[in-house]
Amino acid sequence: MGYVKVVKTSAYFSRFQVKYRRRREGKTDYRARLRLVKQDKNKYNTPKYRLVVRFSNRDVTCQIVRSTIKGDIVEAAAYAHELPEYGLKCGLTNYSSCYCVGLLVARRILTKFGLDKHYPGQEEPDGEDFNVDPVEDGPRPFYCLLDTGLKRTSTGSKVFACLKGALDGGLDIPHNEKRLVGYDRSSKKFDAEVMKKYIFGGHVAEYMEEMEEEEPEKYTKHFSKFLEEDISGGDLEDLYAEVHKNIRENPMKEKKTRTKPATQERWHEVKLTLEQRRENLKQKLATLMDDEE
Amino acid sequence: MPGGQGLRARTRHMFARGFRQKGFIPLTTYLRTYKLGDFVDIKVNGAIHKGMPHKWYQGKTGVVWNVTKRAIGVEVNKRVGHRIMKKRIHVRVEHVMPSRCREEFLQRRSANDAAKHEAKAKGEPIPKTKRIPQGPRAGFELIPEKVETIAAIPYDIIKEGLV
Repeated sequence: MGYVKVVKTSAYFSRFQVKYRRRREGKTDYRARLRLVKQDKNKYNTPKYRLVVRFSNRDVTCQIVRSTIKGDIVEAAAYAHELPEYGLKCGLTNYSSCYCVGLLVARRILTKFGLDKHYPGQEEPDGEDFNVDPVEDGPRPFYCLLDTGLKRTSTGSKVFACLKGALDGGLDIPHNEKRLVGYDRSSKKFDAEVMKKYIFGGHVAEYMEEMEEEEPEKYTKHFSKFLEEDISGGDLEDLYAEVHKNIRENPMKEKKTRTKPATQERWHEVKLTLEQRRENLKQKLATLMDDEE
Repeated sequence: MPGGQGLRARTRHMFARGFRQKGFIPLTTYLRTYKLGDFVDIKVNGAIHKGMPHKWYQGKTGVVWNVTKRAIGVEVNKRVGHRIMKKRIHVRVEHVMPSRCREEFLQRRSANDAAKHEAKAKGEPIPKTKRIPQGPRAGFELIPEKVETIAAIPYDIIKEGLV
Protein backbone atom coordinates (compact mmCIF):
# COMPACT_ATOMS: atom_id res chain seq x y z
CA MET A 1 0.00 0.00 0.00
CA GLY A 2 2.99 2.26 0.41
CA TYR A 3 3.76 4.61 3.23
CA VAL A 4 0.65 6.31 4.64
CA LYS A 5 1.11 8.94 7.30
CA VAL A 6 -0.84 8.03 10.43
CA VAL A 7 -3.25 10.84 11.17
CA LYS A 8 -4.59 9.55 14.47
CA THR A 9 -1.44 9.39 16.53
CA SER A 10 -1.48 9.02 20.29
CA ALA A 11 -1.05 12.80 20.45
CA TYR A 12 -4.27 13.17 18.52
CA PHE A 13 -6.11 10.95 20.94
CA SER A 14 -4.71 12.52 24.08
CA ARG A 15 -5.69 15.98 22.86
CA PHE A 16 -9.08 14.99 21.49
CA GLN A 17 -12.01 16.59 23.29
CA VAL A 18 -15.16 14.51 23.03
CA LYS A 19 -18.48 16.21 22.48
CA TYR A 20 -21.15 15.73 25.11
CA ARG A 21 -22.44 12.17 25.26
CA ARG A 22 -25.91 13.03 24.03
CA ARG A 23 -24.42 15.02 21.20
CA ARG A 24 -22.26 12.04 20.25
CA GLU A 25 -25.40 9.92 20.29
CA GLY A 26 -27.02 12.53 18.10
CA LYS A 27 -30.00 12.89 20.42
CA THR A 28 -29.77 16.35 21.94
CA ASP A 29 -29.35 19.76 20.35
CA TYR A 30 -27.66 21.58 23.22
CA ARG A 31 -27.99 25.00 21.68
CA ALA A 32 -31.77 24.60 21.55
CA ARG A 33 -31.85 22.93 24.95
CA LEU A 34 -30.05 25.81 26.58
CA ARG A 35 -32.54 28.29 25.22
CA LEU A 36 -35.50 26.20 26.35
CA VAL A 37 -34.19 25.55 29.82
CA LYS A 38 -32.69 28.90 30.80
CA GLN A 39 -34.79 30.59 33.45
CA ASP A 40 -34.48 34.22 34.51
CA LYS A 41 -32.40 34.42 37.64
CA ASN A 42 -34.90 36.74 39.28
CA LYS A 43 -37.49 34.00 38.92
CA TYR A 44 -35.34 31.79 41.15
CA ASN A 45 -36.75 28.29 41.40
CA THR A 46 -39.83 28.77 39.25
CA PRO A 47 -39.93 25.74 36.96
CA LYS A 48 -39.87 26.16 33.22
CA TYR A 49 -41.83 23.42 31.53
CA ARG A 50 -41.38 22.16 28.02
CA LEU A 51 -43.59 19.97 25.88
CA VAL A 52 -41.20 17.42 24.49
CA VAL A 53 -42.34 15.70 21.30
CA ARG A 54 -40.31 12.83 19.94
CA PHE A 55 -41.00 10.32 17.22
CA SER A 56 -39.85 6.80 16.71
CA ASN A 57 -40.74 4.60 13.79
CA ARG A 58 -43.87 3.26 15.42
CA ASP A 59 -44.49 5.48 18.41
CA VAL A 60 -45.00 9.08 19.41
CA THR A 61 -43.89 10.41 22.80
CA CYS A 62 -45.19 13.61 24.38
CA GLN A 63 -43.81 14.63 27.75
CA ILE A 64 -44.07 17.68 29.97
CA VAL A 65 -40.59 18.08 31.41
CA ARG A 66 -38.85 20.48 33.74
CA SER A 67 -35.11 20.66 34.29
CA THR A 68 -33.15 20.53 37.52
CA ILE A 69 -29.47 20.19 38.28
CA LYS A 70 -30.02 16.57 39.26
CA GLY A 71 -31.71 15.82 35.97
CA ASP A 72 -34.89 16.43 34.05
CA ILE A 73 -38.15 15.52 35.74
CA VAL A 74 -41.08 14.34 33.63
CA GLU A 75 -44.33 15.65 35.09
CA ALA A 76 -46.65 13.92 32.64
CA ALA A 77 -46.17 11.70 29.61
CA ALA A 78 -48.33 10.26 26.85
CA TYR A 79 -47.44 7.71 24.21
CA ALA A 80 -49.12 6.65 21.00
CA HIS A 81 -49.01 3.04 22.18
CA GLU A 82 -51.47 4.02 24.95
CA LEU A 83 -54.12 5.02 22.43
CA PRO A 84 -55.54 1.48 21.98
CA GLU A 85 -56.96 1.88 25.50
CA TYR A 86 -58.88 4.92 24.27
CA GLY A 87 -60.19 3.13 21.22
CA LEU A 88 -57.59 3.80 18.55
CA LYS A 89 -55.97 0.56 17.44
CA CYS A 90 -54.26 1.40 14.18
CA GLY A 91 -52.51 4.27 12.47
CA LEU A 92 -50.72 5.22 15.68
CA THR A 93 -48.18 7.57 14.17
CA ASN A 94 -50.33 9.51 11.73
CA TYR A 95 -51.27 13.16 12.03
CA SER A 96 -54.56 12.53 13.79
CA SER A 97 -52.94 10.17 16.25
CA CYS A 98 -50.31 12.77 17.11
CA TYR A 99 -53.10 15.21 17.84
CA CYS A 100 -54.61 12.65 20.22
CA VAL A 101 -51.30 12.16 22.04
CA GLY A 102 -50.87 15.93 22.47
CA LEU A 103 -54.43 16.14 23.77
CA LEU A 104 -53.82 13.26 26.17
CA VAL A 105 -50.69 14.76 27.68
CA ALA A 106 -52.41 18.14 28.07
CA ARG A 107 -55.38 16.63 29.91
CA ARG A 108 -53.03 14.61 32.07
CA ILE A 109 -50.94 17.53 33.21
CA LEU A 110 -53.99 19.70 33.83
CA THR A 111 -55.62 16.97 35.91
CA LYS A 112 -52.39 16.48 37.82
CA PHE A 113 -52.18 20.16 38.70
CA GLY A 114 -55.92 20.55 39.30
CA LEU A 115 -56.47 22.89 36.35
CA ASP A 116 -58.65 20.62 34.24
CA LYS A 117 -61.96 22.14 35.33
CA HIS A 118 -60.74 25.67 34.72
CA TYR A 119 -59.29 24.99 31.28
CA PRO A 120 -61.31 22.52 29.21
CA GLY A 121 -59.70 23.80 26.04
CA GLN A 122 -61.36 23.37 22.68
CA GLU A 123 -63.83 20.53 23.12
CA GLU A 124 -65.01 20.39 19.52
CA PRO A 125 -61.89 20.75 17.45
CA ASP A 126 -62.53 22.79 14.35
CA GLY A 127 -58.98 23.45 13.25
CA GLU A 128 -59.12 27.14 14.13
CA ASP A 129 -56.24 28.69 15.98
CA PHE A 130 -57.25 28.31 19.62
CA ASN A 131 -55.59 30.32 22.38
CA VAL A 132 -56.46 29.59 25.98
CA ASP A 133 -58.08 32.49 27.85
CA PRO A 134 -56.99 32.89 31.45
CA VAL A 135 -59.86 32.38 33.86
CA GLU A 136 -60.76 35.56 35.76
CA ASP A 137 -60.48 34.53 39.38
CA GLY A 138 -58.58 31.38 39.27
CA PRO A 139 -55.22 29.99 38.41
CA ARG A 140 -53.51 31.07 35.20
CA PRO A 141 -53.22 28.56 32.35
CA PHE A 142 -50.39 26.05 32.27
CA TYR A 143 -47.54 27.54 30.27
CA CYS A 144 -44.95 25.46 28.51
CA LEU A 145 -42.69 25.63 25.48
CA LEU A 146 -42.61 23.24 22.55
CA ASP A 147 -39.42 21.19 22.35
CA THR A 148 -39.09 19.81 18.85
CA GLY A 149 -35.78 18.03 19.40
CA LEU A 150 -34.05 17.32 16.15
CA LYS A 151 -37.16 17.13 14.00
CA ARG A 152 -37.35 19.42 11.03
CA THR A 153 -40.04 22.05 11.68
CA SER A 154 -41.63 22.22 8.26
CA THR A 155 -45.23 23.27 7.62
CA GLY A 156 -47.54 20.37 8.24
CA SER A 157 -45.11 18.46 10.41
CA LYS A 158 -46.57 16.03 12.94
CA VAL A 159 -44.78 17.84 15.75
CA PHE A 160 -47.30 20.60 15.29
CA ALA A 161 -50.14 18.10 15.33
CA CYS A 162 -49.07 17.27 18.91
CA LEU A 163 -48.82 20.99 19.57
CA LYS A 164 -52.36 21.55 18.30
CA GLY A 165 -53.62 18.67 20.43
CA ALA A 166 -52.00 20.19 23.51
CA LEU A 167 -53.41 23.63 22.70
CA ASP A 168 -56.92 22.30 22.23
CA GLY A 169 -56.39 20.37 25.45
CA GLY A 170 -56.02 23.66 27.32
CA LEU A 171 -52.30 24.39 27.54
CA ASP A 172 -50.79 27.79 26.92
CA ILE A 173 -47.98 27.33 24.41
CA PRO A 174 -46.61 30.22 22.39
CA HIS A 175 -47.08 29.35 18.73
CA ASN A 176 -47.85 30.57 15.29
CA GLU A 177 -50.30 29.10 12.78
CA LYS A 178 -47.59 29.35 10.13
CA ARG A 179 -46.43 25.76 10.61
CA LEU A 180 -49.76 24.02 10.95
CA VAL A 181 -51.28 21.94 8.19
CA GLY A 182 -53.48 24.17 6.07
CA TYR A 183 -51.20 27.18 6.05
CA ASP A 184 -50.60 28.44 2.54
CA ARG A 185 -47.18 30.01 2.10
CA SER A 186 -48.05 31.93 -1.03
CA SER A 187 -51.23 33.51 0.21
CA LYS A 188 -50.08 33.62 3.85
CA LYS A 189 -53.42 32.30 5.00
CA PHE A 190 -54.32 29.56 7.40
CA ASP A 191 -57.13 27.31 6.25
CA ALA A 192 -58.81 25.89 9.34
CA GLU A 193 -60.86 23.47 7.22
CA VAL A 194 -57.76 21.62 6.10
CA MET A 195 -56.52 21.43 9.69
CA LYS A 196 -59.84 20.04 10.82
CA LYS A 197 -59.74 17.44 8.06
CA TYR A 198 -56.31 16.28 9.19
CA ILE A 199 -57.31 16.14 12.85
CA PHE A 200 -60.11 13.75 11.99
CA GLY A 201 -58.07 11.66 9.62
CA GLY A 202 -59.68 13.06 6.47
CA HIS A 203 -56.44 12.74 4.56
CA VAL A 204 -56.12 9.09 5.52
CA ALA A 205 -59.76 8.44 4.63
CA GLU A 206 -59.29 9.95 1.18
CA TYR A 207 -56.20 7.88 0.53
CA MET A 208 -57.99 4.74 1.71
CA GLU A 209 -60.92 5.32 -0.63
CA GLU A 210 -58.70 6.14 -3.54
CA MET A 211 -56.60 3.04 -3.05
CA GLU A 212 -59.62 0.80 -2.51
CA GLU A 213 -60.95 1.79 -5.91
CA GLU A 214 -57.79 1.79 -7.93
CA GLU A 215 -55.48 -0.80 -6.38
CA PRO A 216 -57.43 -3.20 -4.19
CA GLU A 217 -54.51 -5.59 -3.57
CA LYS A 218 -52.26 -2.78 -2.39
CA TYR A 219 -55.14 -1.54 -0.27
CA THR A 220 -55.56 -4.82 1.58
CA LYS A 221 -51.82 -4.96 2.18
CA HIS A 222 -51.31 -1.35 3.19
CA PHE A 223 -54.34 -0.94 5.42
CA SER A 224 -54.40 -4.51 6.69
CA LYS A 225 -54.66 -3.44 10.31
CA PHE A 226 -57.55 -1.15 9.55
CA LEU A 227 -59.35 -3.97 7.77
CA GLU A 228 -58.71 -6.26 10.70
CA GLU A 229 -60.43 -3.76 12.99
CA ASP A 230 -63.13 -3.34 10.37
CA ILE A 231 -62.53 0.35 9.86
CA SER A 232 -63.10 1.93 6.48
CA GLY A 233 -62.41 5.45 5.30
CA GLY A 234 -65.81 6.78 6.27
CA ASP A 235 -65.53 5.54 9.86
CA LEU A 236 -62.38 7.46 10.67
CA GLU A 237 -63.97 10.76 11.56
CA ASP A 238 -66.32 9.22 14.10
CA LEU A 239 -63.52 7.04 15.42
CA TYR A 240 -61.27 9.98 16.18
CA ALA A 241 -64.14 11.95 17.72
CA GLU A 242 -64.77 8.97 19.98
CA VAL A 243 -61.09 8.80 20.93
CA HIS A 244 -61.04 12.54 21.79
CA LYS A 245 -64.07 12.04 23.99
CA ASN A 246 -62.52 9.04 25.77
CA ILE A 247 -59.34 10.96 26.38
CA ARG A 248 -61.18 13.87 27.92
CA GLU A 249 -63.25 11.61 30.12
CA ASN A 250 -60.45 9.53 31.51
CA PRO A 251 -56.98 10.96 31.01
CA MET A 252 -55.35 9.52 34.11
CA LYS A 253 -54.15 5.98 34.40
CA GLU A 254 -54.60 4.27 37.69
CA LYS A 255 -51.39 3.33 39.41
CA LYS A 256 -50.83 -0.39 39.66
CA THR A 257 -50.03 -1.61 43.16
CA ARG A 258 -46.57 -3.07 42.99
CA THR A 259 -45.44 -5.85 45.27
CA LYS A 260 -41.83 -6.62 45.91
CA PRO A 261 -40.77 -9.82 44.10
CA ALA A 262 -40.11 -12.86 46.27
CA THR A 263 -36.43 -13.13 45.41
CA GLN A 264 -34.27 -10.07 44.81
CA GLU A 265 -32.88 -10.61 41.36
CA ARG A 266 -29.75 -8.96 40.09
CA TRP A 267 -29.64 -7.87 36.50
CA HIS A 268 -26.01 -6.90 36.42
CA GLU A 269 -22.82 -8.62 37.48
CA VAL A 270 -21.69 -8.08 41.03
CA LYS A 271 -18.48 -6.07 41.19
CA LEU A 272 -15.52 -7.92 42.66
CA THR A 273 -13.81 -6.62 45.78
CA LEU A 274 -10.15 -5.63 45.81
CA GLU A 275 -9.15 -8.90 47.53
CA GLN A 276 -11.04 -10.94 44.95
CA ARG A 277 -9.42 -9.07 42.08
CA ARG A 278 -5.98 -9.57 43.62
CA GLU A 279 -6.67 -13.28 44.05
CA ASN A 280 -7.75 -13.57 40.42
CA LEU A 281 -4.60 -11.81 39.32
CA LYS A 282 -2.41 -14.10 41.41
CA GLN A 283 -4.05 -17.16 39.90
CA LYS A 284 -3.66 -15.76 36.42
CA LEU A 285 0.02 -15.13 36.99
CA ALA A 286 0.44 -18.62 38.45
CA THR A 287 -1.04 -20.24 35.35
CA LEU A 288 1.14 -18.09 33.12
CA MET A 289 4.25 -19.15 35.06
CA ASP A 290 3.20 -22.77 34.69
CA ASP A 291 2.72 -22.32 30.95
CA GLU A 292 6.15 -20.82 30.59
CA GLU A 293 7.71 -23.76 32.36
CA MET B 1 5.31 52.14 22.88
CA PRO B 2 3.43 50.66 25.85
CA GLY B 3 1.65 47.35 25.42
CA GLY B 4 -1.75 48.89 25.92
CA GLN B 5 -4.08 48.78 28.91
CA GLY B 6 -7.28 47.72 27.23
CA LEU B 7 -10.08 46.13 29.18
CA ARG B 8 -8.88 42.62 28.47
CA ALA B 9 -5.16 43.32 28.34
CA ARG B 10 -2.95 40.49 29.56
CA THR B 11 -5.80 38.03 29.84
CA ARG B 12 -4.62 35.57 27.22
CA HIS B 13 -4.21 32.76 29.72
CA MET B 14 -6.50 33.96 32.47
CA PHE B 15 -9.59 33.98 30.30
CA ALA B 16 -8.63 30.92 28.29
CA ARG B 17 -10.79 27.83 28.58
CA GLY B 18 -9.22 24.79 30.18
CA PHE B 19 -7.58 21.92 28.38
CA ARG B 20 -10.24 19.86 26.64
CA GLN B 21 -12.96 22.05 28.15
CA LYS B 22 -13.72 24.17 25.16
CA GLY B 23 -17.08 24.55 23.54
CA PHE B 24 -20.47 24.27 25.11
CA ILE B 25 -20.93 25.10 28.78
CA PRO B 26 -22.76 22.54 30.92
CA LEU B 27 -26.29 23.62 31.70
CA THR B 28 -25.78 23.42 35.47
CA THR B 29 -24.30 26.90 35.34
CA TYR B 30 -27.60 28.20 34.07
CA LEU B 31 -29.80 26.12 36.36
CA ARG B 32 -28.24 27.32 39.60
CA THR B 33 -30.19 29.85 41.62
CA TYR B 34 -28.57 32.61 43.63
CA LYS B 35 -30.20 34.45 46.50
CA LEU B 36 -29.32 37.78 48.04
CA GLY B 37 -26.61 37.34 50.62
CA ASP B 38 -25.08 34.25 49.02
CA PHE B 39 -21.32 34.11 48.67
CA VAL B 40 -20.06 33.64 45.13
CA ASP B 41 -16.68 33.19 43.49
CA ILE B 42 -15.97 35.08 40.30
CA LYS B 43 -14.37 32.92 37.65
CA VAL B 44 -14.48 34.30 34.14
CA ASN B 45 -15.66 31.99 31.37
CA GLY B 46 -13.87 33.08 28.22
CA ALA B 47 -16.48 31.51 25.96
CA ILE B 48 -19.15 33.98 27.02
CA HIS B 49 -18.22 37.48 25.96
CA LYS B 50 -21.13 39.30 27.54
CA GLY B 51 -21.28 40.36 31.14
CA MET B 52 -17.62 39.67 31.81
CA PRO B 53 -16.12 41.30 34.86
CA HIS B 54 -12.77 43.10 34.67
CA LYS B 55 -9.75 40.81 35.00
CA TRP B 56 -9.01 42.18 38.46
CA TYR B 57 -12.09 40.39 39.81
CA GLN B 58 -10.99 36.97 38.62
CA GLY B 59 -10.78 34.76 41.66
CA LYS B 60 -12.43 37.19 44.03
CA THR B 61 -15.29 36.24 46.29
CA GLY B 62 -18.19 38.51 47.02
CA VAL B 63 -21.75 38.71 48.24
CA VAL B 64 -24.83 38.76 46.01
CA TRP B 65 -26.62 42.07 46.32
CA ASN B 66 -28.80 41.95 43.20
CA VAL B 67 -30.35 39.36 40.94
CA THR B 68 -31.50 40.28 37.44
CA LYS B 69 -32.71 38.27 34.47
CA ARG B 70 -29.35 36.93 33.34
CA ALA B 71 -26.83 38.43 35.74
CA ILE B 72 -25.91 38.61 39.38
CA GLY B 73 -24.83 41.72 41.22
CA VAL B 74 -21.78 40.95 43.35
CA GLU B 75 -20.23 43.16 46.02
CA VAL B 76 -16.48 42.65 46.23
CA ASN B 77 -13.88 44.23 48.55
CA LYS B 78 -11.21 46.02 46.58
CA ARG B 79 -8.17 47.66 48.06
CA VAL B 80 -7.68 51.04 46.46
CA GLY B 81 -4.63 52.74 47.87
CA HIS B 82 -5.08 53.15 51.60
CA ARG B 83 -8.66 51.94 51.93
CA ILE B 84 -10.85 49.00 51.04
CA MET B 85 -13.77 49.89 48.85
CA LYS B 86 -16.88 47.81 48.43
CA LYS B 87 -17.25 47.50 44.69
CA ARG B 88 -20.62 46.53 43.25
CA ILE B 89 -20.43 44.87 39.87
CA HIS B 90 -22.86 42.99 37.68
CA VAL B 91 -21.70 39.73 36.25
CA ARG B 92 -23.45 37.20 34.03
CA VAL B 93 -24.17 33.86 35.68
CA GLU B 94 -21.65 32.07 33.48
CA HIS B 95 -18.81 33.87 35.24
CA VAL B 96 -19.97 33.06 38.76
CA MET B 97 -19.79 29.97 40.93
CA PRO B 98 -21.31 29.35 44.34
CA SER B 99 -18.57 29.77 46.92
CA ARG B 100 -17.67 27.09 49.38
CA CYS B 101 -16.07 29.52 51.81
CA ARG B 102 -19.10 29.42 54.08
CA GLU B 103 -19.57 25.70 53.86
CA GLU B 104 -17.24 24.73 56.68
CA PHE B 105 -18.64 27.42 58.97
CA LEU B 106 -22.26 26.48 58.32
CA GLN B 107 -21.57 22.80 58.90
CA ARG B 108 -19.74 23.52 62.14
CA ARG B 109 -22.49 25.82 63.30
CA SER B 110 -25.28 23.29 62.64
CA ALA B 111 -23.25 20.51 64.29
CA ASN B 112 -22.65 22.71 67.37
CA ASP B 113 -26.28 23.73 67.55
CA ALA B 114 -27.35 20.10 67.33
CA ALA B 115 -24.90 19.09 70.08
CA LYS B 116 -26.08 21.88 72.35
CA HIS B 117 -29.71 21.06 71.70
CA GLU B 118 -29.11 17.42 72.46
CA ALA B 119 -27.25 18.20 75.67
CA LYS B 120 -30.04 20.49 76.81
CA ALA B 121 -32.67 17.87 76.04
CA LYS B 122 -30.79 15.25 78.03
CA GLY B 123 -30.01 17.66 80.85
CA GLU B 124 -26.25 17.34 80.44
CA PRO B 125 -23.93 20.32 80.70
CA ILE B 126 -23.55 22.22 77.41
CA PRO B 127 -20.38 21.14 75.60
CA LYS B 128 -17.65 23.67 74.86
CA THR B 129 -17.85 24.42 71.16
CA LYS B 130 -15.13 27.05 70.72
CA ARG B 131 -12.37 25.96 68.37
CA ILE B 132 -9.03 25.88 70.10
CA PRO B 133 -5.90 26.62 68.07
CA GLN B 134 -3.16 24.03 68.02
CA GLY B 135 -0.91 24.65 71.02
CA PRO B 136 2.72 23.66 71.53
CA ARG B 137 3.43 19.95 71.49
CA ALA B 138 3.27 18.13 74.82
CA GLY B 139 6.44 16.92 76.38
CA PHE B 140 7.43 13.30 75.76
CA GLU B 141 10.12 10.91 76.77
CA LEU B 142 12.28 9.55 73.99
CA ILE B 143 13.20 5.92 74.78
CA PRO B 144 15.61 4.46 72.25
CA GLU B 145 15.40 0.74 71.49
CA LYS B 146 19.05 0.18 70.91
CA VAL B 147 21.75 2.27 72.50
CA GLU B 148 25.03 2.15 70.62
CA THR B 149 27.95 3.77 72.38
CA ILE B 150 30.64 5.03 70.06
CA ALA B 151 34.06 6.36 70.96
CA ALA B 152 36.24 8.57 68.77
CA ILE B 153 39.05 6.76 66.90
CA PRO B 154 42.13 8.78 65.96
CA TYR B 155 42.50 9.24 62.22
CA ASP B 156 45.04 6.74 60.82
CA ILE B 157 46.02 7.38 57.25
CA ILE B 158 47.31 3.81 56.72
CA LYS B 159 44.16 2.24 58.08
CA GLU B 160 41.98 4.40 55.89
CA GLY B 161 43.76 2.94 52.90
CA LEU B 162 44.99 6.15 51.27
CA VAL B 163 48.67 5.28 51.48
